[in-house]
Amino acid sequence: MPTKELTEEESLKLITDMIGKTKSHFHESGASLILWGTIAGFCAILSFIQSYWHFSIGFDVWILTLVAIIPQVWIGIKESKEKVVKTYQETYIDIIWIVYVVSIAAMLIYVNVTYYTSQRLLSNDGIELFSKNIATGEIKPFQVFPPSFSSIMMILYAFPTLATGLITKYRPLIVGAMICYVCFAVSLFTSFTYDMLLTAIAVICCWLIPGLMMRNRFLKQKIEKDV
Amino acid sequence: MFKDLDPILHSQLRLAVVSLLMGVKEAEFVFLKEKTNATAGNLSVQIQKLKEAGYIDVTKKFKNNYPLTICKITTRGIKAFEEYVKNLQEYLGKNK
Repeated sequence: MPTKELTEEESLKLITDMIGKTKSHFHESGASLILWGTIAGFCAILSFIQSYWHFSIGFDVWILTLVAIIPQVWIGIKESKEKVVKTYQETYIDIIWIVYVVSIAAMLIYVNVTYYTSQRLLSNDGIELFSKNIATGEIKPFQVFPPSFSSIMMILYAFPTLATGLITKYRPLIVGAMICYVCFAVSLFTSFTYDMLLTAIAVICCWLIPGLMMRNRFLKQKIEKDV
Repeated sequence: MFKDLDPILHSQLRLAVVSLLMGVKEAEFVFLKEKTNATAGNLSVQIQKLKEAGYIDVTKKFKNNYPLTICKITTRGIKAFEEYVKNLQEYLGKNK
């Protein structure tokens, strides 16, 4: 591009072209979405299988989500090194996902802390709760636990996905988030077993599938750029 | 040719750089080079002129042992660009 002076029409065309180039620049590789869609989907499916067929693998499979933080950090560092431009859009999306991670962590603390706090407070008041099986007459200690916790988690999964989809105008994320909300609504009427199946559907639809589509688009863009 | 337009911005490559930086938070030199199709030498000179005018901030770093130049538009640069576009629109409006 030479350093020549411009006519008014040329100036306007140049501004429009350059702004269009920043808009069309898309870097998201979809790697994080694929990672979390796969991990959370796998954990949810395994939880469903264990609950449906009444067996246990001996440990909480959701621990894998903590292990997945390691590849996520690696993806984050690698992508930030490859980025040659930082858009305002990307900055806002990053903020949304940071808030989401904080919210998820807070929810996990909430569910664990309130469980023990409720037991302690009831115990301090000399109260013990029991549940009775009407059919068998069996009485068991009743553990206070937030009802349909998976439903709350599904709302959280949908929130950053929908926000990202709307900001980037990326339809697969918007559709995925909508499916996630539908799964949330259905899960209000189902047991833990089917909540896990719905969770699997939700994360696969809102993260894994859009992530794979994003990856496909990213690789196509990369090939076009290299040609 | 019009007199009211900012001479710093009224140049093809400098206007292209500022237009690109208006749409992003910050951009590396390679991004600007790729989008403007300019030569590295010419782009460096024009970036320096924009920096001297206070329209952009230039930060130099190292990435994998290679020098890295990051450009970011300043508040002064944003005002100058907005003024330039306003003058351009007025001019085009008058000539319709």
